[in-house]
Amino acid sequence: MLIKTGIPTNEDIKEIVPSKERRGKGPVAIIECFQEIPCNPCYTACKFGAIKEFENINQRPIIDFQLCTGCGQCLTKCPGLAIFIIDESYSDTEALVQIPYEFLPLPKEGIFVTGLNREGKPICRAKVVKVKQGKGENKTSVITLKVPIEYSMEVRFLNIEDYFSDNTIICRCEGITLGEIKNLIKEGYETIDEIKRISRVGMGPCQGRTCRHLLLQEIAKETGQNMKNMPMSTFRPPIKPINIGIIAGGEDDE
Amino acid sequence: MKTTEIAIIGGGPAGLSAAISGASSGAKVTLIDRNYSLGGQLKKQTHKFFGSQKQYASTRGFCIANILEDELKKYGDRVEILTNATVLGLYEDKVITIEQDKQYKKLKPEKIIVATGASEKFLAFPNNDLPGIYGAGAVQTLMNEYGVKPGNNVLMVGAGNIGLIVSYQLIQSGVNVKAIIDAAPQIGGYLVHASKIRRMGIPILTSYTIKYAHGKDAVEKATIWKIDENWEPIPNTEMDFDIDVICISVGLSPLADLLWQIGCKMEYIPELGGHEPIRDDNLETNISGIFIAGDVGGIEEASSAMVEGRLAGLCAAKSLGYYYGDYEERRKDLIDQLISLRSGPVGDKIRSGLRKVII
Repeated sequence: MLIKTGIPTNEDIKEIVPSKERRGKGPVAIIECFQEIPCNPCYTACKFGAIKEFENINQRPIIDFQLCTGCGQCLTKCPGLAIFIIDESYSDTEALVQIPYEFLPLPKEGIFVTGLNREGKPICRAKVVKVKQGKGENKTSVITLKVPIEYSMEVRFLNIEDYFSDNTIICRCEGITLGEIKNLIKEGYETIDEIKRISRVGMGPCQGRTCRHLLLQEIAKETGQNMKNMPMSTFRPPIKPINIGIIAGGEDDE
Repeated sequence: MKTTEIAIIGGGPAGLSAAISGASSGAKVTLIDRNYSLGGQLKKQTHKFFGSQKQYASTRGFCIANILEDELKKYGDRVEILTNATVLGLYEDKVITIEQDKQYKKLKPEKIIVATGASEKFLAFPNNDLPGIYGAGAVQTLMNEYGVKPGNNVLMVGAGNIGLIVSYQLIQSGVNVKAIIDAAPQIGGYLVHASKIRRMGIPILTSYTIKYAHGKDAVEKATIWKIDENWEPIPNTEMDFDIDVICISVGLSPLADLLWQIGCKMEYIPELGGHEPIRDDNLETNISGIFIAGDVGGIEEASSAMVEGRLAGLCAAKSLGYYYGDYEERRKDLIDQLISLRSGPVGDKIRSGLRKVII
């Protein structure tokens, strides 16, 4: 519950989100202000009359999504940093999310960062497409992130570290990256063994101890499967690489 | 003895606004503050303020301090500012005694506005005297006034607005906030503040209190535990945090020593944070010529303190005969602003408290 945890619930969000149709038309302000507090700068900031005049200052903002142009004036004025601009018209698979940001250093345009949800959990990789540095005394910067479209109503903050980087090493022994694994899954390889045979992941000195679990997680995530129902790799001796001579030489045990 | 028309004790949001209002009405004002510079707690507030345009909404607190100080200085000779000056006593004949730069001074004003603000509440738990255990005000002073990091890993005790805001400022300064805990079953501060911290992954644990602070020369670890609906700790719910700072932010109480000294009628109103003076709509206490403004009269947001300051300054000036045709209009506008700021659900407690002290 929001008042116990600070995390708006799905019900809270459902109440304030514009229709899918409106979201697909272009940028629009999402106002995540769920409590009556004495505050109205969003109304005074709006030049398009989209945020209705407050009957009293404690009223929660009411926005007409048809009038909202997604200009973002309200976003930098909101003292609660509770307004975001999303644009689902960007492409069929990606959306833009504008986030108020008050930390230094600012991310550089073009880099990849990690999109965090309302709970602060990393949920996807996001590209920083624009950084609008806060001006004058306002100082609130606006970061525009490009995220997978299904995360447009989820990503609400960012970590400057790129947790989901394609260059992240999954298999240290064989030097296989997350990007390579993802591509293989996209091509249709969906079990650990399949990916092992095509890429050599898990076939180095550690024999999969480090990567096996990560690989399983990644397949589960990309294919929407539950890890407990997924096949493990096949286990055969020897459990660690040894010199063939040791086997050939054998032991005198008749 | 030095005299003035209105002495204002305290140069925070309420006192600065009172001085502006008094001087703009035509009175000679003397503003006294114990710090080197004016602005009080505004100086430490890096966040944008709530409220409406009239209370500088969406402007950062320290910028508001500068705006108010500049506005006050416009009134030139009518304004006297004493900084680094602590009021030591307030006497029946309305004489104020002041220590300024190691000198003892007296001032006899005709009217006095007490705008001394509030002090922080503390918590009783074992080892709460270890170095590294701070009040939230001290943490803000270190970080935002002196640019000093208070430590590296913080447990914040208190999820009211101050606890939430200071947590955010700590994170902005590159300090880890391990968790924010609060004994109440729900978050006391504005939920937008809570959400913006929560989405950075900082847990907010309600119904938790601090059990023990560990450490030899300084705090090293904090143990917290859950409490039930009767505020009794529940055994085996303990959690440990490796930290070097515990920041206590469990509320404020009015700093009303001077009002007690001069014999104002005081009432204990828990909704307002402690003992508050009885006063009328114009913020005048039961002692004629003694006005109050801001947190000394009950803990609220700085936006209300600024409006109260304007009101007290206006009414004190009027009682000296500085009276213009628009007085009633200005007074009504200020009272309407206060009613509006206090009208919502977060103002419930304030309204119920004020009903008991405004006569």
